[in-house]
Amino acid sequence: MAILLQLLLSGVALGMIYAVIAFGYQSTFATSGTLNFGQGEALMLGAMVGLSMAGNVAGGPYINYWAMIPIVLIFGALQGAVVERIGVRPAIKTKSEFGWIMSTIALGIIFRNVAENVWGRDDMPFPSPLPTDPLHIFGASVLPMELLVVVGAIVMMVGVEIFNRRSIYGKAVVATSTDRDAAGLMGINTGLVITFSYALSSATAAFAGVLIAPITLTGASMGAVLGLKAFAVAIIGGLNSGLGVIVGGILLGVAETTTGFYISTGYKDVPGLILLLLVLSVKPAGLFGKSVIKKV
Amino acid sequence: MLEVKNLTAAYGQVSVLHGVSLKVEKGQLVTLIGSNGAGKTTTMRAISGMISPTGGEILLEGKSIGGLASHQISKLGVAHSPEGRRVFPTQSVKDNLLLGAFSRLTFGRERGDVEGDLDRALDLFPRLRERKDQLAGTLSGGEQQMLAMARALMLKPEVLLLDEPSMGLAPILVEEVFHIIKRLKQEGVTMLLVEQFAAAALGVADYGYVMENGRIAVEGPAAQLQNDPKVKEAYLGGGH
Repeated sequence: MAILLQLLLSGVALGMIYAVIAFGYQSTFATSGTLNFGQGEALMLGAMVGLSMAGNVAGGPYINYWAMIPIVLIFGALQGAVVERIGVRPAIKTKSEFGWIMSTIALGIIFRNVAENVWGRDDMPFPSPLPTDPLHIFGASVLPMELLVVVGAIVMMVGVEIFNRRSIYGKAVVATSTDRDAAGLMGINTGLVITFSYALSSATAAFAGVLIAPITLTGASMGAVLGLKAFAVAIIGGLNSGLGVIVGGILLGVAETTTGFYISTGYKDVPGLILLLLVLSVKPAGLFGKSVIKKV
Repeated sequence: MLEVKNLTAAYGQVSVLHGVSLKVEKGQLVTLIGSNGAGKTTTMRAISGMISPTGGEILLEGKSIGGLASHQISKLGVAHSPEGRRVFPTQSVKDNLLLGAFSRLTFGRERGDVEGDLDRALDLFPRLRERKDQLAGTLSGGEQQMLAMARALMLKPEVLLLDEPSMGLAPILVEEVFHIIKRLKQEGVTMLLVEQFAAAALGVADYGYVMENGRIAVEGPAAQLQNDPKVKEAYLGGGH
């Protein structure tokens, strides 16, 4: 029983990371119908930049973990804006259906190569800002950092939701997502909203990067698999459902930890992908995906 | 106030407007009528920047606005209640109205009394007041139409473009919409109205233009057009 609880808790922590990255996929898809396939690399860059400031590299640490987070968020936002301007905007302008797929993948590969040259190819430890002794909850042991992952992920998503509902700028983002032409008539600069959604998407990924780095290893290749799995989560949960990515993320996270323990760690990626295939064949819009009904 | 000179526009390779010229003076209600496919909606879309004109000039208070993006034109004071209403279905009625005032709330335009204007808009459309917190997607077609008009008014526009406000509405609601248009005119709102109910539109308008195949075929004071035998035969017959 304690073991199962242990697996569930670890699965939830992992799942919330997937959910945050998947949330980033959703934000650009909502406003522009495009996705940043370099999302995993945005996560990796966030972690590496965070490590350079708060880790034991290059003569550091220079500042502590908490002070580093806002800087990483700003860095992530700028990086996302660059991806949109260089890789996505030209494709949207020319109404190219697939141009953005190749250009965001290409930018992701470039970012990974740059990171390999700047920080090396080896994985590095990221110092934990919280005690590394596990807490014991009903016989299961949980790292304080894992709790921070869950809390941080929820705070991030709730924060964006409040922004969307309460502020006029957030309402403008939602309006752009539902009807870009009509949003333009309201005086909303929809091109800027799309840039903003890319900035937000990469900032959330960078945030996920510094959340997960202390419990995994940090290196130039850390993002690729996470980015891909989070994409699976976005598809499983539905590309337009906030609740969907949380449920999808937790499903995938728990499926991985339980399979890893009960069957074999060699198969831990399989159940998630089977889930993905199942969802695609049974409910292609995702478990919580919905199509908006428009009255004409 | 608003002047369109020799406007041409196209969808892809298909040219739709072949040199449209019209004028809306301050405080005037001008109507643009004509059969389906004559280019009325395209003219409106070109004015508000939803599409880029391929030629000609669009002047707002003497300043050229042709080819600007729709959000820039909106900030200059052109509000467009588009064909098909285009309300934001997943957001509340109140949020839709606040989005209409987006430029005022974000310093693109003089702010003024947004809360007061919201209240006045809800006075003008009492049905919307009852449904203030409901999602716009749950409104009936008529209510959505009123929301689209109220939302456009929230800009405090220099010119209000109304595209087919009566489309798809029950006769009693059509009457209500025209009643509101009359009231806006009394309040001095400058309007360009595209309508399929040509007789009703000419009944409230000061001046009218009749479009045919992407060109202005006839123009004149509304009262005169109402009695023009050619206009009567082509557009006012058939019980409209």
